[in-house]
Amino acid sequence: MNDYPDVVAKIVDDYLDRLRLRLRRIPAREQNEFLKEIQSHIFEAYRRSTDQDETERILAVLRKFGEPGEVVSDRLPETMVRSGIRQILPLHVVGGILIALFGVPLGFGGAAVLLGVLTALVGAAVGYFAVAASLVLVSGTLGSLGLVRVYEPALWDVLVAHGIIEPPPSELFEVLSPSSQAFVMIMLACVFAAVGIAMLWLGKYLIRGLRFLFGMVCDWIRQWAQSARQAVRRQWSPHESESGKAALRAVREPLA
Amino acid sequence: MGALYHERHYGYSLVRVLTEDGSISLKEGTIYPILARLDRDGLVRSEWVESVQGPPRKYYALTSAGRQLFADLRQEFDVLVSLVKREWTGREDSETTQRKLLLRKR
Repeated sequence: MNDYPDVVAKIVDDYLDRLRLRLRRIPAREQNEFLKEIQSHIFEAYRRSTDQDETERILAVLRKFGEPGEVVSDRLPETMVRSGIRQILPLHVVGGILIALFGVPLGFGGAAVLLGVLTALVGAAVGYFAVAASLVLVSGTLGSLGLVRVYEPALWDVLVAHGIIEPPPSELFEVLSPSSQAFVMIMLACVFAAVGIAMLWLGKYLIRGLRFLFGMVCDWIRQWAQSARQAVRRQWSPHESESGKAALRAVREPLA
Repeated sequence: MGALYHERHYGYSLVRVLTEDGSISLKEGTIYPILARLDRDGLVRSEWVESVQGPPRKYYALTSAGRQLFADLRQEFDVLVSLVKREWTGREDSETTQRKLLLRKR
């Protein structure tokens, strides 16, 4: 359907991939439709451009079209999600329960408890990432030691002799040949690395959840401040001076 | 919305219409989020149409709600323009009067 030369096709695919990345938070159906439309635009603009050089042609088209960041602003995905298919996330429910339990009935005390809970959650998140990073670090160290054990046995012996390395006090480990010990260490390193990386990857959901909870609390505080400000304004408006009222009338009358 | 008032367009043709006289300069891609939002808000309706020249095109046309909103916005804009013009003429008049008074005093 899109008869681009290979080089041009690669450039277009790369551009669409970057765009897709920015759209990852909107539902797949809307995402595909958006990309299909943009694909159609790029193809038509390319077909109608008059430059001789194919690469120059497509680059000019994409320059005029705009960088993915310009085309899809950071706010767009959220707006599209909010207005399109509403996604009920478990986090929304958790956030609602937290506010309902602590924030609303208990007023300031509840808010303080809520902030305490959020702080504890942040602490838990920091701990989580610390564990994940430690696992990755341990896997790196263990992997390196495995390689030393198999390729540099003399260095291994020196390290053990100086107490820098403490081999596990397991008879089973002692029974194993050096290459088998290295194999065990590298396997363990792989497992630790896999768990650590998986934890880091899953951590983005944790961060997203925390951001959501904090956003919700901030919104709640902002709304409360707004209503308080309005109440104060209402309280003070009857005491406005006569001259002030006259000035206001003078300003408003020509507009009426 | 004005460009879609009389005829339907697809993204590329809409960009051409908006930029052809050079009065508007825009990054072409920015039109699509706007169209998506109008579509979502029910101000335009869209329809995919097969094209013999390449990939299918998504055509947009104003809905009756879109036409109504456009008419309202246009009216508001006209009022705003007339207010600004009146303010400007008033200011020019008072400046002329002040200048005349100054000359008389001299």
